[in-house]
Amino acid sequence: MALPSKVLPGFVASMWMQTSAAPFTTANLAVWVAQVTTIVGTSAGGTGASGTALATIEAVPAFGQDDAVASFMVAGARQSDKIPTQSAPTSMTITAAWNPSDAGLLLVRADAYSGLVDRTYVIAAYDGTNTVAYAFNARASQFQIDAQPGAEAKCVFTLHPRGNQYGWSNS
Amino acid sequence: MKVADAVEVLATTYQSLDFVAQGLEVKASEVAAALAKAKPDTVEFVCLTALSKYNPVSTEVASSEPSE
Repeated sequence: MALPSKVLPGFVASMWMQTSAAPFTTANLAVWVAQVTTIVGTSAGGTGASGTALATIEAVPAFGQDDAVASFMVAGARQSDKIPTQSAPTSMTITAAWNPSDAGLLLVRADAYSGLVDRTYVIAAYDGTNTVAYAFNARASQFQIDAQPGAEAKCVFTLHPRGNQYGWSNS
Repeated sequence: MKVADAVEVLATTYQSLDFVAQGLEVKASEVAAALAKAKPDTVEFVCLTALSKYNPVSTEVASSEPSE
């Protein structure tokens, strides 16, 4: 995979999603020209013909990998053993301001209802000139709306990245 | 397997490129030649880079001992 060739001195991070549910192949996730750039909008250095912004995102907690543990128990035994295994990818639980007219959020909600839709997502870091992009395929789930009367309505959803389907690219 | 066919397999897979590239039998010299011609930031370049990782060009070191 191509690694970012530039350290951005100051940048704006934004998140984009594919409007059609036609996820890129693993190799294409690492290609900027004519691939990832079509998802990233012009405000982040892309062309944006086949993507839409997830513009209302407020918080993306830490995600990446976590230690996985396999538990074993022998029938009748009191104790069980937890054996560390390969590290497992964690999912990305995102909080966004809920706007029922937002095209991106409506796509995420529909995907979450389905549970089977794979889509390409891109996190873009843009310094005004260049873009470094992390693209990955994921499924959405656990879409919830928190509509407390005392605060702005929020929606919370989780993106589950597909194993090994990611790539770095840059403009 | 031809390098072009291997690139096609890698370009269309949703699996790990590393995992798939390990199972493709190609000539290292052909991969190196194709990689030298490939343009960066293209699917071919990404695929050939994965192939070259598992098919490095090995250069034989000439023996310094005199042969009889």
